[in-house]
This record gives sequence, structure tokens and C-alpha cells, in this order.
Amino acid sequence: MALENLNLDIKKGATGLLGPNGAGKSTFLKTILGLIQATSGEGTVLGHDIRTEGSAIRSRIGYMPEYDALNPEMDAINQVRYSGELLGMNPIVALQRAHASLQYVGLGEQRYREIKSFSTGMKQATKLACAIIHDPELIIADEPSNGLDATAREFMINTLINTVKQGDRSVLMASHLMDDVERVCDDIVLLHKGKLAAQGRIEDLKAIDREIEIHVWGGASKLEAAMKQRGMKVRREGRVMRIAHESEELTTEILSCASQVGAQIRRMHEYEASLEDLFLVIMENLGYDVKTSEDLFSHPINARKVDAPGHMGGGAS
Amino acid sequence: MNEGEPITPPQIPQSQPIPQPIVTTPQQPIPNVTQPIQSVEPATTPMATAETPVTGQTRMEAAWGSSEGDEDYTEMASVGHSGSGEIFQQNYEPWRGELNPRWMRNWAILRHHVLGIVKKGHRPWGVPTKIFLVLVFFASLSDAGLTLLASLIGESEFHSMWGVNRDNLYGHVLGFFPRNVMYYPIVAALLVGGVISEDRNHGTSALYFSRPINRFDYVGMKYASVAIIQAVIIIFTLFLYYLTEIMAFGRGWAWIIDTFPLFLGALVGGVLLIITYTSIGLALSSVSKGKFFPGIGLLAIILGTKTLAIIVKNLFDREILYLLSPYDCLAHVGQALVKTQPTYDQYSWTWSLASLIVMNAISLYVLSSRVSSMEVTRE
Repeated sequence: MALENLNLDIKKGATGLLGPNGAGKSTFLKTILGLIQATSGEGTVLGHDIRTEGSAIRSRIGYMPEYDALNPEMDAINQVRYSGELLGMNPIVALQRAHASLQYVGLGEQRYREIKSFSTGMKQATKLACAIIHDPELIIADEPSNGLDATAREFMINTLINTVKQGDRSVLMASHLMDDVERVCDDIVLLHKGKLAAQGRIEDLKAIDREIEIHVWGGASKLEAAMKQRGMKVRREGRVMRIAHESEELTTEILSCASQVGAQIRRMHEYEASLEDLFLVIMENLGYDVKTSEDLFSHPINARKVDAPGHMGGGAS
Repeated sequence: MNEGEPITPPQIPQSQPIPQPIVTTPQQPIPNVTQPIQSVEPATTPMATAETPVTGQTRMEAAWGSSEGDEDYTEMASVGHSGSGEIFQQNYEPWRGELNPRWMRNWAILRHHVLGIVKKGHRPWGVPTKIFLVLVFFASLSDAGLTLLASLIGESEFHSMWGVNRDNLYGHVLGFFPRNVMYYPIVAALLVGGVISEDRNHGTSALYFSRPINRFDYVGMKYASVAIIQAVIIIFTLFLYYLTEIMAFGRGWAWIIDTFPLFLGALVGGVLLIITYTSIGLALSSVSKGKFFPGIGLLAIILGTKTLAIIVKNLFDREILYLLSPYDCLAHVGQALVKTQPTYDQYSWTWSLASLIVMNAISLYVLSSRVSSMEVTRE
């Protein structure tokens, strides 16, 4: 998948790289690793030019691949040590760091076991140890929690969080698991068909889909009509309605409408979209145009009108 | 409690009965209960209570202790300090070292592969491979051993059969049986089998290419590793053979000057053999994901083309098919280098050399194009 017109500025900290299959995530990762020459445009990673300084970039990045990248016949300590030597570490230093890295990822007691005897979670942890052996400034984790059971997944996520917070390292995490991205990352980059679909802080991006959810008893249709008459954007599923949160007086207006038509509101709360909802909203409703969090946040309703399907109040079919 | 209000120690109401200690001694004054009781911080070894577990230390003190034994037993109970139950604490340890330059990374690849033959912790070569390499190493030294034996028994005919001469130097490197049937092709097949294909299979190519290692260094160091191991078996044993003759028979400079060009010819023949077998083998390894196909493929090419050429020669008296056989081309060039009687007389040795160059060029092209396509993200 070719990348096109991709203008990105990824800040220090944890950033999630999202996108459906074929969105260009792998191409993007290879580009910032300096393994693919950009036909046009330019970019820098940690101050190094991606076109000419790929080797310097890879010295300062720790890459944790999605797929198996370990020799099953080797024991973990020597595999991690060798990965350090491949970076140019002295063998003795690499061995010391391998011990420290495996201890950090929770494999201190398992380090002399052959990798073929490891579970998936332990293999993932070993790959992470290989990635952090030289204490890189940026760790690229490609699907780090993919295929892990609940315990191993929790440990992996906590380890990444710890690496960012305690280690003060940056993490670029590509994943399909939105919950994990949401827990680890503050920012996301959303790619689709080789283009940037959205970029920004998760909290900011989630704000585009803020709604008030109410559960109505009696007169739901009348209430819906009344609210629409007052210009509110209402989505209804039976007795549950979600109203786009456009003004601070929204709750008062909803209660006023309910009072007017004699409907009971038995429950009312703010509905905050998950990252997964956000992903779907952006992908389905906003299309492929570049949307920064500022764009989306400043004109969310217009974006919805133009792109959202008809039943959600937008103009798209 | 409101802010600013003075904190007063807890007061015991006078109306309540004062709790008396159960055991008191006459020397122990009764505490003045009219004074407010101050809250006391627990000592570093807190006074044990009845609930305190009786540990091994308590039992030892009771049985063997030097005290009078009149003390309250609870005072001796040691209290174990337990943590919060967390047995793993995750601490990120930063590293501020310097990474070494390119040559050190290349050395790491070379070291990993070569040392793996003799040392644990490096590339895990299979046990059968290691055993076979050791056997072939000693088998390759058979001519050196027999030369030594000839010097010991002083039998000139025995020495003329096994000692250093034009034919034996050629035979050490390029002799067909047993060396180029049972030794060197199998050594090459065992070595090249998984060198690149297993990186594809296990995804370990990502480990290399996500590091500051370019494709040329990767394939170059793998090539050099396999070649060095073969060189130990073929060229180092050739050197030992030559050295044995010098040492055992006390050869002087005149003999060395006479025979050294022959030794160099055999050495160059050995280098050509190593390069050719390694190039073909690694090309096969780069197009595969297992070690079986490259190994068998290399043997099939070396021995299969040779067999075919023999059949065609015997049936039609045409030697042209030898040009397709890596071994025959190597043998033809080797015979020209050492100037022994050529086995192939229907065409010039330069044709064999050209054929070898073409074979190596094709192999290296396949190898480089396949290694270029190896992925970091996915195979």
C-alpha cells in the first residue's frame, strides 16, 4: 500500500497507529524505519532524515515486530543478547542488558529456557526485550498484545505504560485492539487507504461524538418529534435515544421537551464514545479526507451533516 | 476535625475502670493513670502479641537460649515482616552506552554463525551437523596422518602414495572420491541449508533488518560464515597436510620453493570450490523456507549434473555436459592450476572457468534479489 500526502508530526509519548487491513500501517512503519525510500516528500525521525539516515534511525529505535522474529532453538537470554550485538553492542554489555531487559519484561526466571518452549505471551515479551535492549528513544510495537490471553495481555499493556511513564520513552503502537491503544496511548494516528484519516489526542477526537443518552417511558415518539422540532440531532433505538451534545443547555432542553409532551425520562447520562466507536465514526462518516482533531472538533456537526448516513442525521446515503 | 483545632491526645474517662496488667512484678511501678496516655509508636521490633506466630527462632530460643526462662514467651516471638504480596517489581533501567560502528555489527553476525559450531549460545547448528563436521575434519586430515606414518616407518612407496605431490595436493581439495562425494558437498549442504531459509521461516530477518544492518552486510556475513567453516575443513587441512610433510620429512627451502606453487594452485582450487558451493547453496537457501530443500538441492546439482555428464560421455563420448556440472568445472580448472593430467580433454579449461563464473553470477543474482525482498514486517 503506497502512502500519499501523509503529513504527520508525532509527539513524544505514546501514540497509537490505527487503520484497517491494507491501510498502510506496515508501509508507514517501514518508511520511518528507513527501509523504504519515499519517492517524494521528506521526513525526519528523531532528527534523522528517513531518506538518507535509515541506519542512524534504526540505531535509536526499538522495533517489536508483529510476527514471530525469534529463533526457537535459542534460549531467551542469548536471543536478546544477539539482538543487542546486532545493534553494535559489545557482547559483554549486550549480555548485561539482556538480563536487565528480560527481567523488566517479566522473564527473569525464564531466560535460560529455549524459546520454542515459550507461550505466545512469553514470546511477545522476549520480542519486547529485544526491542528495548539498547534503551531506545522510540519503541515501535506492532500488535504487541495480539493473540495473548487476558493475563499476558494485561502484563504487556502495563509494561508498555510503564515504559512510557517510568522509562520516559516514546511508544508507537500499531494495533487492532482499540481498548489496548486507549489504555497505552494519549494520541492516535488513523490511516486509511494510505492517507491520514485523523490524528490527535484521543480525548479530543472522542469529543466529536459526545451525546446525551436518555431512556424514555411513554411518549417516546412525541418526545423525539419535539426534540427534533427544537433542532436537536436525535438518534433513536426503541426507547433509547441519543442526542448530539451541541450546547450546554441540552439537558434542560431535553427535560423541557419531556415535560411538554408528558414523557418520562427514567435515565439520562452522557454517552462517551469508545475509541472503537470513534474509529467507526471516522471511517464510516468522515471518509478519507485529512481531519486533525482541531478540524473535527471545530466543525463536528458540519462533518456529520455532510458525511453521516441519513438515519444518523447526515447527508450520506 | 476542623482545621486549626488543636490536636489533643485521647483522654481516658475517669469513670471507666482502669485496665490492670495481668502480670506485674513488685519492682514495676503502677503507671500513673491520671496522666494522659500518650500514643506510642511501635518499636522497630514490635512487642509480639498472643496472635504472633511462634517461629523457628522462638523455638530455638526456648530450647537453647541463655536467658532465665522467666520472661513472657510472647516477648521472644519474632515477627516476620511480609511485603504487600508483590513478588515482581518492574523497573525500567535506562542505558547510556554507546553503540559500536558497522564493523562490530558485522563481526557479531560472523561470530554468531561460526562460534555456533563449537559453543552454546550462538547459532544453534544441529547436533548431526556438528558431528559430521568433526568427522569430515579428521577424515580430511587422513593424508596428513598417513604422511606422518610414512615418515615414521620410512617406507618410500608408502610416502609416494600419500605424501605431498602434484596429484595428492589436487586430490586433497578436488578429488572426486571420497572428498567430493562424501565430504565437501555434504558439508556445504548441511551448512547452507538453513542459513537464510530459517530466517525466512522464523521471521528472524526482522531482527536483522530492523537493526542498522543493510542487506549487503547481512548476506555478506552469512556468506563469509559458511565459507570460513568450509575453509577450516578444506583449506586449513590442506595447510596442515603440507606442513606435516615439511615437518615430518624435514623439507628444506628448495623443496618448498618447488612445491609451493602447487600448494597455491590447490589452495586457489579450494577457494573456488568453497565460493561455488556457497553461492549455489545460499541461493537455494534464499528461495526456501526450510533447510531440507536447499541441502538436497545443492547435492542434486553437484552430484546430479556430474552423474548426467558421465552418462552422456559414456554413451555419446561427448564431454560438453561437464560444463553444466559445478564439480567438473572446478576439477577442470583445478587440474589446470596444479597442472595434473586433465580428465577433460575435449575443451579448454577456460570454458570451465567461464562456466563457473556464470554459475556464481546467477547464484549471486538470485541470492541478492531474494534477500532484497525479505521483509521486516511480514514474510
